[in-house]
Amino acid sequence: MSGPAPIRLKLCMAGEATVGKTSLIRRSVLDEYDDRYIATLGTKITKKVMSVQDPKGAGLVTVHAILWDIMGTPTLRDLLKEAYYHGAEGIFAVADQTRKETLAALDAWARSIRSVAGDIPTFGLVNKKDLDPDPEFAAGEIEAFFEKRGWPWLYTSAKTGVGVEEGFRRLTETILADRPILKPDASGDGPRRPS
Amino acid sequence: MTVFVQPDTAVIVRQRLLENAEDVDALFVLAALHAHDGLVAEGITVLDRVLRLDPAYPGAWRFKATLHRMRGETEAGQSAWERAEDVEP
Repeated sequence: MSGPAPIRLKLCMAGEATVGKTSLIRRSVLDEYDDRYIATLGTKITKKVMSVQDPKGAGLVTVHAILWDIMGTPTLRDLLKEAYYHGAEGIFAVADQTRKETLAALDAWARSIRSVAGDIPTFGLVNKKDLDPDPEFAAGEIEAFFEKRGWPWLYTSAKTGVGVEEGFRRLTETILADRPILKPDASGDGPRRPS
Repeated sequence: MTVFVQPDTAVIVRQRLLENAEDVDALFVLAALHAHDGLVAEGITVLDRVLRLDPAYPGAWRFKATLHRMRGETEAGQSAWERAEDVEP
């Protein structure tokens, strides 16, 4: 007998160019890393299959997370926001610990996404943990940034894998905990969030 | 500290299209660059080319709806939005 249908979630990567959005997906889905930087153009969609604990206590559930990786070009962000963010159920807000300005930039990304998708769960990933941090960061500044916004967060390294799986799992569990009712997806690909 | 040079999106698009005139990712961004520069009709034309090459290109139908609405073309915008509902993953 087959188990319950998988749950589909649309998750969006947000953040400035070169913070490592594509590399985090690559690490998470393929367990690979490539040091060469290739700027993301347009939209890339990747499916990540996860088994996570149902926060409502029904055991393990299978999640098909559809990861939308978009280019980190702020000038085109608002023009493309409906194209990218419609139906999003969670945000990875990605900053680069070697460039302080990428942290403050997350507010504009989150604002743009939420203007389309509503007040959806946001999880901060402070990437490039394997490198030395930007000396401009004051002690406790990163912690204070996320605490002020109420966004859980983690340091990650797409290069070493540190924090990556935990970040995906925690955002997914947060979304599942917030879901009101699950109804079958018309595609037959599992239940989706009510529209 | 690692120093990053921010890539210029327009330059990357141009390079990619020189290598492959049917690069849908580059064409999608070219459509956005046109619209950003106020050339919305040109943006729609390029986007139509994207959708001929890949009718399920992620976000393209919704972007087309946005551009039609910017031009006050309500019906075309609605039609594109409905196509997006059919094809989006």
